[in-house]
Amino acid sequence: MPLHSDPLTIAGKTFGSRLMLGTGKFNDLGLMNAVLEASGTGIVTVAIRRVELRAPGHVGLLESLDLNRYQLLPNTAGCRTAEEAVRVARLARAATGVSWIKLEVIPDARWLLPDPVGTLEAAEILVGDGFTVLPYVQPDAVLARALERVGCATVMPLASPIGSGRGFRTGELLRTVLDGASVPIVVDAGLAVPSDAAQALEAGADAVLVNTAVAEARDPVGMAHAFALGVRAGRAAFLAGRMAERETASPSSPAMGIPRLPDPEVPA
Amino acid sequence: MTPEELQVNGTAHPFAPGLTLLTLLQKLNISPQGVAVAVNDDFYPGAQIPDRALQAGDTVEIVRITGGG
Repeated sequence: MPLHSDPLTIAGKTFGSRLMLGTGKFNDLGLMNAVLEASGTGIVTVAIRRVELRAPGHVGLLESLDLNRYQLLPNTAGCRTAEEAVRVARLARAATGVSWIKLEVIPDARWLLPDPVGTLEAAEILVGDGFTVLPYVQPDAVLARALERVGCATVMPLASPIGSGRGFRTGELLRTVLDGASVPIVVDAGLAVPSDAAQALEAGADAVLVNTAVAEARDPVGMAHAFALGVRAGRAAFLAGRMAERETASPSSPAMGIPRLPDPEVPA
Repeated sequence: MTPEELQVNGTAHPFAPGLTLLTLLQKLNISPQGVAVAVNDDFYPGAQIPDRALQAGDTVEIVRITGGG
Protein backbone atom coordinates (compact mmCIF):
# COMPACT_ATOMS: atom_id res chain seq x y z
CA MET A 1 0.00 0.00 0.00
CA PRO A 2 1.51 3.39 -0.92
CA LEU A 3 2.12 5.67 2.05
CA HIS A 4 0.07 8.54 0.66
CA SER A 5 -3.07 6.43 0.93
CA ASP A 6 -2.23 5.13 4.38
CA PRO A 7 -3.62 7.62 6.86
CA LEU A 8 -3.77 7.16 10.61
CA THR A 9 -7.37 7.17 11.83
CA ILE A 10 -8.18 7.91 15.47
CA ALA A 11 -11.77 8.24 16.63
CA GLY A 12 -12.90 8.77 13.02
CA LYS A 13 -10.39 11.55 12.34
CA THR A 14 -7.62 10.95 9.81
CA PHE A 15 -4.02 12.18 9.94
CA GLY A 16 -1.33 12.14 7.27
CA SER A 17 1.48 11.70 9.81
CA ARG A 18 2.06 8.86 12.26
CA LEU A 19 4.22 11.04 14.48
CA MET A 20 2.74 12.84 17.48
CA LEU A 21 4.73 15.62 19.10
CA GLY A 22 4.86 16.84 22.68
CA THR A 23 5.36 20.52 23.42
CA GLY A 24 7.20 20.17 26.73
CA LYS A 25 10.72 21.44 27.43
CA PHE A 26 10.64 24.17 24.78
CA ASN A 27 11.42 27.62 26.17
CA ASP A 28 10.85 29.33 22.84
CA LEU A 29 7.43 29.16 21.17
CA GLY A 30 9.00 30.06 17.82
CA LEU A 31 11.31 27.05 18.05
CA MET A 32 8.43 24.86 19.14
CA ASN A 33 6.39 25.85 16.11
CA ALA A 34 9.36 25.27 13.80
CA VAL A 35 9.72 21.79 15.32
CA LEU A 36 6.05 21.01 14.75
CA GLU A 37 6.36 22.18 11.16
CA ALA A 38 9.48 20.06 10.52
CA SER A 39 7.90 16.99 12.09
CA GLY A 40 4.85 17.08 9.82
CA THR A 41 2.77 16.07 12.83
CA GLY A 42 -0.99 16.45 13.02
CA ILE A 43 -1.37 15.75 16.75
CA VAL A 44 0.23 17.89 19.46
CA THR A 45 0.15 17.28 23.20
CA VAL A 46 -0.07 20.00 25.85
CA ALA A 47 -0.29 20.03 29.65
CA ILE A 48 -2.66 21.77 32.07
CA ARG A 49 -1.20 23.76 34.93
CA ARG A 50 -2.35 26.20 37.54
CA VAL A 51 -2.04 29.88 36.65
CA GLU A 52 0.71 31.43 38.76
CA LEU A 53 -1.24 33.71 41.09
CA ARG A 54 1.77 35.94 41.69
CA ALA A 55 2.76 36.24 38.04
CA PRO A 56 -0.24 35.97 35.74
CA GLY A 57 -0.17 37.22 32.17
CA HIS A 58 1.97 34.35 30.82
CA VAL A 59 2.20 34.35 27.00
CA GLY A 60 -0.27 31.73 25.88
CA LEU A 61 0.84 28.53 24.24
CA LEU A 62 -2.73 28.03 23.10
CA GLU A 63 -2.73 31.24 21.06
CA SER A 64 0.55 30.34 19.36
CA LEU A 65 -0.67 26.97 18.03
CA ASP A 66 -2.51 26.76 14.71
CA LEU A 67 -5.53 24.75 15.80
CA ASN A 68 -6.76 24.39 12.22
CA ARG A 69 -3.62 22.44 11.55
CA TYR A 70 -3.04 20.47 14.72
CA GLN A 71 -5.33 18.25 16.74
CA LEU A 72 -4.70 19.36 20.29
CA LEU A 73 -4.19 16.49 22.74
CA PRO A 74 -4.14 17.77 26.34
CA ASN A 75 -2.65 15.38 28.86
CA THR A 76 -3.22 14.64 32.52
CA ALA A 77 0.50 14.50 33.27
CA GLY A 78 1.28 14.90 36.96
CA CYS A 79 -1.97 13.28 38.09
CA ARG A 80 -1.42 10.55 40.67
CA THR A 81 -4.92 9.12 40.92
CA ALA A 82 -7.93 8.49 38.70
CA GLU A 83 -9.81 11.23 40.54
CA GLU A 84 -7.11 13.82 39.83
CA ALA A 85 -6.90 12.76 36.19
CA VAL A 86 -10.65 13.03 35.65
CA ARG A 87 -10.61 16.50 37.17
CA VAL A 88 -7.68 17.66 35.04
CA ALA A 89 -9.32 16.21 31.92
CA ARG A 90 -12.41 18.30 32.60
CA LEU A 91 -10.26 21.38 33.19
CA ALA A 92 -8.44 20.62 29.93
CA ARG A 93 -11.70 20.42 28.02
CA ALA A 94 -12.81 23.73 29.53
CA ALA A 95 -9.46 25.35 28.72
CA THR A 96 -9.20 24.12 25.13
CA GLY A 97 -12.68 23.24 23.95
CA VAL A 98 -11.17 19.89 22.92
CA SER A 99 -12.50 16.62 24.30
CA TRP A 100 -9.44 14.52 23.40
CA ILE A 101 -7.36 13.58 26.41
CA LYS A 102 -4.07 11.76 26.79
CA LEU A 103 -4.78 9.97 30.04
CA GLU A 104 -1.88 9.60 32.44
CA VAL A 105 -2.33 8.27 35.97
CA ILE A 106 1.16 8.14 37.42
CA PRO A 107 1.68 7.66 41.16
CA ASP A 108 5.44 7.19 40.92
CA ALA A 109 7.74 10.15 40.26
CA ARG A 110 10.97 8.18 39.88
CA TRP A 111 10.03 5.91 37.00
CA LEU A 112 6.83 7.69 35.95
CA LEU A 113 5.14 4.34 35.48
CA PRO A 114 1.38 4.42 34.94
CA ASP A 115 -1.10 2.89 37.38
CA PRO A 116 -3.08 0.34 35.33
CA VAL A 117 -6.02 0.14 37.73
CA GLY A 118 -6.41 3.90 38.08
CA THR A 119 -5.98 4.38 34.34
CA LEU A 120 -8.76 1.94 33.51
CA GLU A 121 -11.02 3.47 36.15
CA ALA A 122 -10.45 7.02 34.85
CA ALA A 123 -10.80 5.91 31.21
CA GLU A 124 -14.22 4.46 31.84
CA ILE A 125 -15.42 7.63 33.57
CA LEU A 126 -14.02 9.90 30.86
CA VAL A 127 -15.42 7.86 27.95
CA GLY A 128 -18.80 8.03 29.70
CA ASP A 129 -18.38 11.79 29.92
CA GLY A 130 -17.87 12.12 26.16
CA PHE A 131 -14.07 12.26 26.01
CA THR A 132 -11.90 10.71 23.32
CA VAL A 133 -9.46 8.89 25.57
CA LEU A 134 -5.86 7.96 24.67
CA PRO A 135 -4.41 6.21 27.74
CA TYR A 136 -0.68 5.92 28.53
CA VAL A 137 0.08 2.41 29.80
CA GLN A 138 2.69 -0.26 30.15
CA PRO A 139 2.65 -2.72 27.24
CA ASP A 140 0.12 -5.06 28.86
CA ALA A 141 -2.14 -6.86 26.37
CA VAL A 142 -4.80 -7.73 28.94
CA LEU A 143 -5.03 -4.10 30.07
CA ALA A 144 -5.03 -2.91 26.45
CA ARG A 145 -8.04 -5.09 25.61
CA ALA A 146 -9.85 -3.85 28.74
CA LEU A 147 -9.19 -0.23 27.72
CA GLU A 148 -10.53 -0.99 24.24
CA ARG A 149 -13.67 -2.53 25.75
CA VAL A 150 -14.45 0.60 27.79
CA GLY A 151 -14.15 2.67 24.60
CA CYS A 152 -10.64 4.15 24.48
CA ALA A 153 -9.67 5.57 21.08
CA THR A 154 -6.10 4.27 21.20
CA VAL A 155 -3.76 2.52 23.59
CA MET A 156 -0.35 4.14 24.19
CA PRO A 157 2.20 1.66 25.53
CA LEU A 158 5.57 2.94 26.66
CA ALA A 159 8.86 2.14 24.94
CA SER A 160 10.90 2.96 28.07
CA PRO A 161 10.43 5.44 30.94
CA ILE A 162 9.25 8.95 30.03
CA GLY A 163 12.09 11.28 29.11
CA SER A 164 14.70 8.56 29.66
CA GLY A 165 15.92 8.29 26.07
CA ARG A 166 16.47 4.58 26.63
CA GLY A 167 14.76 3.77 23.37
CA PHE A 168 12.45 0.98 22.24
CA ARG A 169 12.89 -1.67 24.95
CA THR A 170 9.49 -3.29 24.91
CA GLY A 171 9.40 -5.05 21.53
CA GLU A 172 8.37 -8.48 22.77
CA LEU A 173 5.58 -7.13 24.94
CA LEU A 174 4.44 -4.75 22.21
CA ARG A 175 3.85 -7.78 19.97
CA THR A 176 1.28 -9.06 22.43
CA VAL A 177 -0.45 -5.66 22.59
CA LEU A 178 -0.56 -5.42 18.78
CA ASP A 179 -1.90 -8.94 18.36
CA GLY A 180 -5.66 -8.54 18.11
CA ALA A 181 -5.74 -4.79 18.80
CA SER A 182 -8.92 -3.11 17.62
CA VAL A 183 -7.72 0.51 18.08
CA PRO A 184 -4.50 2.24 16.98
CA ILE A 185 -1.50 1.40 19.16
CA VAL A 186 0.73 4.43 19.73
CA VAL A 187 4.16 3.83 21.23
CA ASP A 188 4.85 6.65 23.64
CA ALA A 189 7.74 7.63 25.86
CA GLY A 190 11.44 6.89 26.00
CA LEU A 191 12.25 7.03 22.29
CA ALA A 192 15.57 8.77 21.66
CA VAL A 193 16.42 8.50 17.97
CA PRO A 194 14.51 7.91 14.73
CA SER A 195 15.62 4.27 14.55
CA ASP A 196 13.66 3.70 17.79
CA ALA A 197 10.56 5.07 16.11
CA ALA A 198 11.25 3.07 12.96
CA GLN A 199 11.51 -0.14 15.00
CA ALA A 200 8.17 0.51 16.66
CA LEU A 201 6.47 1.16 13.32
CA GLU A 202 8.21 -1.84 11.71
CA ALA A 203 6.78 -4.00 14.50
CA GLY A 204 3.31 -2.79 13.57
CA ALA A 205 2.68 0.12 15.92
CA ASP A 206 0.32 2.60 14.30
CA ALA A 207 2.13 5.72 15.49
CA VAL A 208 4.63 7.07 18.00
CA LEU A 209 4.77 10.10 20.28
CA VAL A 210 8.02 11.90 21.04
CA ASN A 211 8.89 14.99 23.00
CA THR A 212 12.17 14.96 24.92
CA ALA A 213 14.07 13.29 22.05
CA VAL A 214 13.33 16.34 19.92
CA ALA A 215 13.34 19.06 22.59
CA GLU A 216 16.74 17.96 23.97
CA ALA A 217 18.42 17.33 20.61
CA ARG A 218 21.23 19.74 19.73
CA ASP A 219 19.11 20.78 16.73
CA PRO A 220 15.45 20.17 17.61
CA VAL A 221 14.17 21.13 14.15
CA GLY A 222 16.63 18.75 12.49
CA MET A 223 15.67 15.95 14.88
CA ALA A 224 11.95 16.53 14.28
CA HIS A 225 12.59 16.10 10.55
CA ALA A 226 14.69 12.98 11.23
CA PHE A 227 11.86 11.45 13.29
CA ALA A 228 9.42 12.16 10.47
CA LEU A 229 11.69 10.16 8.15
CA GLY A 230 12.14 7.36 10.70
CA VAL A 231 8.41 7.00 11.15
CA ARG A 232 7.82 6.93 7.39
CA ALA A 233 10.56 4.38 6.88
CA GLY A 234 9.26 2.15 9.66
CA ARG A 235 5.70 2.25 8.41
CA ALA A 236 6.75 1.60 4.81
CA ALA A 237 8.78 -1.39 5.99
CA PHE A 238 5.86 -2.75 8.00
CA LEU A 239 3.60 -2.51 4.95
CA ALA A 240 6.27 -4.12 2.76
CA GLY A 241 6.63 -7.05 5.16
CA ARG A 242 9.97 -8.06 6.62
CA MET A 243 11.84 -11.19 5.61
CA ALA A 244 11.85 -14.24 7.83
CA GLU A 245 14.80 -14.73 10.17
CA ARG A 246 17.21 -17.63 9.62
CA GLU A 247 19.46 -19.27 12.11
CA THR A 248 22.49 -19.26 9.73
CA ALA A 249 23.69 -17.42 6.61
CA SER A 250 22.08 -17.65 3.18
CA PRO A 251 24.27 -16.46 0.27
CA SER A 252 22.83 -13.61 -1.76
CA SER A 253 24.92 -14.57 -4.84
CA PRO A 254 24.35 -17.84 -6.78
CA ALA A 255 26.01 -20.86 -5.18
CA MET A 256 26.66 -22.42 -8.61
CA GLY A 257 29.22 -21.41 -11.25
CA ILE A 258 31.86 -19.91 -9.00
CA PRO A 259 35.25 -19.83 -10.89
CA ARG A 260 37.16 -21.81 -8.30
CA LEU A 261 40.81 -22.72 -7.81
CA PRO A 262 41.54 -26.17 -6.50
CA ASP A 263 40.17 -26.59 -3.02
CA PRO A 264 42.50 -25.14 -0.40
CA GLU A 265 44.30 -27.63 1.74
CA VAL A 266 42.89 -28.03 5.17
CA PRO A 267 45.63 -27.01 7.67
CA ALA A 268 46.92 -29.91 9.73
CA MET B 1 -8.59 26.58 55.83
CA THR B 2 -10.71 28.49 58.30
CA PRO B 3 -14.46 29.05 57.76
CA GLU B 4 -13.59 32.50 56.38
CA GLU B 5 -11.34 31.23 53.62
CA LEU B 6 -11.52 29.48 50.28
CA GLN B 7 -8.89 27.51 48.41
CA VAL B 8 -7.56 29.10 45.22
CA ASN B 9 -5.04 27.00 43.33
CA GLY B 10 -4.18 25.13 46.47
CA THR B 11 -3.60 28.13 48.72
CA ALA B 12 -5.92 29.76 51.24
CA HIS B 13 -7.56 32.98 50.11
CA PRO B 14 -9.59 35.29 52.38
CA PHE B 15 -13.33 35.11 51.90
CA ALA B 16 -15.55 38.16 52.25
CA PRO B 17 -19.32 38.14 51.76
CA GLY B 18 -20.23 39.21 48.22
CA LEU B 19 -17.11 37.69 46.66
CA THR B 20 -17.85 36.40 43.16
CA LEU B 21 -15.79 34.43 40.68
CA LEU B 22 -15.19 37.41 38.42
CA THR B 23 -14.21 39.74 41.26
CA LEU B 24 -11.81 37.06 42.49
CA LEU B 25 -10.16 36.91 39.05
CA GLN B 26 -9.97 40.71 38.96
CA LYS B 27 -8.35 40.79 42.40
CA LEU B 28 -5.80 38.24 41.22
CA ASN B 29 -5.22 40.22 38.02
CA ILE B 30 -6.08 37.21 35.86
CA SER B 31 -7.73 37.74 32.48
CA PRO B 32 -10.40 35.11 31.78
CA GLN B 33 -9.02 34.80 28.24
CA GLY B 34 -7.03 31.60 27.83
CA VAL B 35 -7.80 30.12 31.23
CA ALA B 36 -10.30 27.61 32.54
CA VAL B 37 -11.81 27.64 35.99
CA ALA B 38 -13.31 25.04 38.27
CA VAL B 39 -15.37 25.88 41.32
CA ASN B 40 -15.65 22.61 43.23
CA ASP B 41 -17.04 20.28 40.53
CA ASP B 42 -18.24 22.93 38.05
CA PHE B 43 -15.96 23.60 35.09
CA TYR B 44 -15.97 26.79 33.00
CA PRO B 45 -14.08 27.86 29.87
CA GLY B 46 -12.50 31.29 30.27
CA ALA B 47 -14.92 32.94 27.88
CA GLN B 48 -17.92 31.53 29.74
CA ILE B 49 -17.00 32.16 33.34
CA PRO B 50 -20.18 33.13 35.16
CA ASP B 51 -20.22 35.80 37.82
CA ARG B 52 -21.35 33.32 40.42
CA ALA B 53 -21.17 33.93 44.12
CA LEU B 54 -18.43 32.11 45.99
CA GLN B 55 -18.78 30.55 49.41
CA ALA B 56 -16.31 30.10 52.22
CA GLY B 57 -14.84 26.63 51.81
CA ASP B 58 -15.09 26.60 48.00
CA THR B 59 -12.23 25.07 46.04
CA VAL B 60 -11.28 27.16 43.02
CA GLU B 61 -8.82 26.06 40.34
CA ILE B 62 -7.60 28.46 37.65
CA VAL B 63 -5.56 26.73 34.95
CA ARG B 64 -4.05 27.33 31.55
CA ILE B 65 -2.40 25.31 28.82
CA THR B 66 1.34 24.88 28.94
CA GLY B 67 3.92 22.81 27.09
CA GLY B 68 3.88 19.11 27.87
CA GLY B 69 4.20 15.65 26.45
